[in-house]
Amino acid sequence: MSRRTFLKVGAAAGAAVVAGAYFAWPGSNIPEAVRSGSALYDVLIIGSGGAGMRAALEASKQKGIKVAVMTKMAPTRSATTMAQGGINGAARNTDTKDSPEIHAFDTVKGADYLCDQDAVAYYTEESAKMLFELDYSGIAFNRQEDGRFHQRKMGGSSYARAAYSADISGHAVLHTMFEQCLKENIDFISECQLLEIVAMNGKLSGVVAVDMRSGEMLSVPAKTVIVATGGYGRAYWVRTSNPYSSTGDGIAACLNIGIPFKDPEMVQFHPTGLASNGVLLSESSRSEGAHLLNSSGERFMARYAPKAMELGPRDLVCQSVEKEILAGRGIGEGLKAAVYLDFRHIPKAIIQERLFQVRQLALQFEGVDIFDAPAPIRGTCHYSMGGIDVVDYKTCATKIAGIYAAGECSCISVHGANRLGANSLSEVLVFGKTAGAAAAAYAKGAGYEGDKEKLKAAVAAWNRKFDETTKRSQGASVAMIRDKMAMTMWNNAGIFRNEKGLRQAMGDMQELQAMYNTCQVGDSSRTCNTAFMNYIELGNLLRLGKGIIYGGLARKESRGSHSRTDFPQRDDKNFLQHTLISKEGDGFKTEYRPVMIGQYKPVERKY
Amino acid sequence: MAITLKIQRFLGEKKWEQEYRLEVETGMTVLGALIKIKETMDPTLTFTASCRSSICGACAVKVNDNAVLACETLLADLLKRYASDTLTIAPLGNFTVLRDLMVDWQPKYDRLKKIKPALQPKTEFSASEGCRQSKDEFKKYSKNSECILCGSCVSECNKSNLNSKDFLDPFIFSKAAKFVADSRDKDAVAHLEPAVKDGLWKCLNCQECAAKCPKGLSPAEDIEKMRIATFEKKMSSNEGSDHAMAFYDDVKELGRLDEAKLALKTEGLKSALRVPVAYRLMRSGKLNPLEQAKPIGDIEKVRAIMKAAKEKKL
Ligand SMILES: Cc1cc2nc3c(=O)[nH]c(=O)nc-3n(C[C@H](O)[C@H](O)[C@H](O)COP(=O)(O)OP(=O)(O)OC[C@H]3O[C@@H](n4cnc5c(N)ncnc54)[C@H](O)[C@@H]3O)c2cc1C
Ligand code: SF4
Ligand code: SF4
Ligand code: FES
Repeated sequence: MSRRTFLKVGAAAGAAVVAGAYFAWPGSNIPEAVRSGSALYDVLIIGSGGAGMRAALEASKQKGIKVAVMTKMAPTRSATTMAQGGINGAARNTDTKDSPEIHAFDTVKGADYLCDQDAVAYYTEESAKMLFELDYSGIAFNRQEDGRFHQRKMGGSSYARAAYSADISGHAVLHTMFEQCLKENIDFISECQLLEIVAMNGKLSGVVAVDMRSGEMLSVPAKTVIVATGGYGRAYWVRTSNPYSSTGDGIAACLNIGIPFKDPEMVQFHPTGLASNGVLLSESSRSEGAHLLNSSGERFMARYAPKAMELGPRDLVCQSVEKEILAGRGIGEGLKAAVYLDFRHIPKAIIQERLFQVRQLALQFEGVDIFDAPAPIRGTCHYSMGGIDVVDYKTCATKIAGIYAAGECSCISVHGANRLGANSLSEVLVFGKTAGAAAAAYAKGAGYEGDKEKLKAAVAAWNRKFDETTKRSQGASVAMIRDKMAMTMWNNAGIFRNEKGLRQAMGDMQELQAMYNTCQVGDSSRTCNTAFMNYIELGNLLRLGKGIIYGGLARKESRGSHSRTDFPQRDDKNFLQHTLISKEGDGFKTEYRPVMIGQYKPVERKY
Repeated sequence: MAITLKIQRFLGEKKWEQEYRLEVETGMTVLGALIKIKETMDPTLTFTASCRSSICGACAVKVNDNAVLACETLLADLLKRYASDTLTIAPLGNFTVLRDLMVDWQPKYDRLKKIKPALQPKTEFSASEGCRQSKDEFKKYSKNSECILCGSCVSECNKSNLNSKDFLDPFIFSKAAKFVADSRDKDAVAHLEPAVKDGLWKCLNCQECAAKCPKGLSPAEDIEKMRIATFEKKMSSNEGSDHAMAFYDDVKELGRLDEAKLALKTEGLKSALRVPVAYRLMRSGKLNPLEQAKPIGDIEKVRAIMKAAKEKKL
């Protein structure tokens, strides 16, 4: 008997006991005070991605401030952990010619000028510093000869600006933040899904959330709430690189209490999603030199961006990929149509050192080893530039006192009509920090002005909703409605859009909403009811999807990621403005707010 | 082709096994199958997943008693490996089950806190200028930074199975080892001490953790490295040897080892100096306590090997 098998047999006796010891376990995912209803948070953060955790670390620096991070899964499962390529900041380790000003210019140009330049200047200034902070917090950044962290050049950047950790940079960021949170003993309210932010007449009372484990509806009073719930990419369901959790919950909660959804139509499609399922092959593929080829092996980017080639900004590269496919120069058909991403000329050692995750994903999902063959790729919904309307970038405040937003769920706006690669992770940390500091300062100076009775009433309403919706045994399934939604969103409100398609999508969404209102959840247990969770998420996506369509219809121009075939030109005269969608009765209304222009005057983008 | 998934289900006090039959589509992963079941057959089936690209750690489950990431494991591969059209799916071992395949991570985070799971930067570094580190120094710990907290390593850990009260989970040791190996950290002992206190010497070196880690980490090896580090850092030798003894006691609990233990005792295991020697011996397989069935006649050979180990020749 080998040693290993012997140990296995020996241990089996012990294992049997462990496996048999199953019992109902409420656990300690929630601080006792929250369960008993006696907690009052100074700063309650919703979402444990990079933005949420960074906010918590900053807020907890204020003495005597009670802070917690609520999250719908275990704390480390977020979009942040999926980021691959890197994190931008003009730290000038690798390229001394870089500066926050040049970073700002690249960002503004990348954004197709639909960003607020004062916010961008603040962001680039802070992100340069933030990289050193991260290094000091223990992140595993790849190194260069002089011992400093190395930076790589990502699409749309003038210089090598992205610090990175192989091709798992977001994972490195998130786990470094989590380590710091453990060290600082930050309270987590884990596996609790935010359902509603309760605020009436401009006064915040707190939030209602469902404790996944017990199914109990919890009310959590708070003086301030920082929404950090991530993007809404799942509106395109299978054709997205986003995790299952990116369902825009926080944005929907804000919409419901009168905070506008800003620039909803600005959805970024990333050019290199795997053909079969939308999973992302990192942009670092292209920054390490991978080529885009059409069916006849031609590097077609020469046609669309002769100078930048594959390193053009995402919107442009993605639209180029789609044009090749539409012109019949792709491979495959229908939703599976694709072009190639070719790595064969890149030294294997480089791939092994810097692109090992890319190689693994291609192997796993497409059965392609990028050492020997090109990977089939196509656009995939990747990032939500739009989001909760932040009215002051220096605090991340929204129009309701005490409610802040940071990270991908927010629209500050730094990314305008198109985010540059590696700009999100740094945006998330910079504004997470900003929001954390501002919320803590506000809470310190303010009393609780909310109304706990209103919170209780909201809890009662959610309990009724739970019982009613989980009881139904007839109606469409959540998955069926969701797939139809994704189909119409991809076909009509995707990479290319026009009036006819958007109207079609609008009609489809209305029908789907009607189906949703009587659909069945299929699980009536209160214990870890993920089916109910998915049901709530779909409701949010339907609302936000409609927001995307509304914004897209109203914006009769093409800018950045928003590409209207019936209005192919950018129209600065009418649309150098942010779209603001807000609730009006059962529907939406659309308003505009001018973009803040600083030193960079809008000119045509050329790459 | 059609397959049968036997899924262990848990809800409240109830525990049962449920069978689902479904068609395997090309490229279908275990997660794909779970989703298919939830969406088309049984919405009550409960599991967690987020990234579906092997990086968030949410989806680890046991298939035929082996932990895997559901999102990266192709059904076709499993069917080939087990030469069967029936697979059993269960929640990870050594976790408390919340419902079906969903397990409780909270206690793990509380344990993670014990090993001071954050960098303690050296005083020459600062938040405004960051740190310095050579490429080689970086390589010493970068692998350990790839842990995704999926829990696969602890699921079949033999020591955790026996008793996890006095033993941190394998990934927690790997986390501690990361800081011990990071040249930017000023105080390895701060991470080592709690590791020693909570089971560093109790690992059975069975390698299950390394075999299961989807990211190629080896908690077993990290534990070995930290054991050696405790001597390099001249940490209280008594403590080290006491724990080495405890290690043997654990093995003894399994009901074996007399001869090996004898051989070790002959050399006087209690003497602090001998611990790393014995340890190195075990590592190199020259003195495998469980396979020592050789008669005493070999004792001279054993002594020679131990001498070599003492001189660090192994
Ligand atoms: C595949 C991929 C690759 C990427 N690569 C890069 C890159 O290289 N560089 C870069 O800069 N950016 C990259 N990005 C973008 C970047 O990762 C994200 O934009 C960013 O991490 C978002 O962080 P966040 O903290 O705002 O939100 P997230 O990380 O999405 O976190 C949201 C959190 O909110 C929680 N949550 C959501 N809803 C609720 C609710 N109802 N109740 C409670 N909690 C809730 C979630 O569980 C999660 O914890 C990439 C994104 C993806 C998907
Ligand atoms: S080698 Fe040690 S830590 Fe790893 S599984 Fe075996 S007993 Fe557990
Ligand atoms: S060490 Fe490996 S198996 Fe264990 S939690 Fe980390 S990634 Fe998962
Ligand atoms: S779903 Fe994230 S690791 Fe599998």
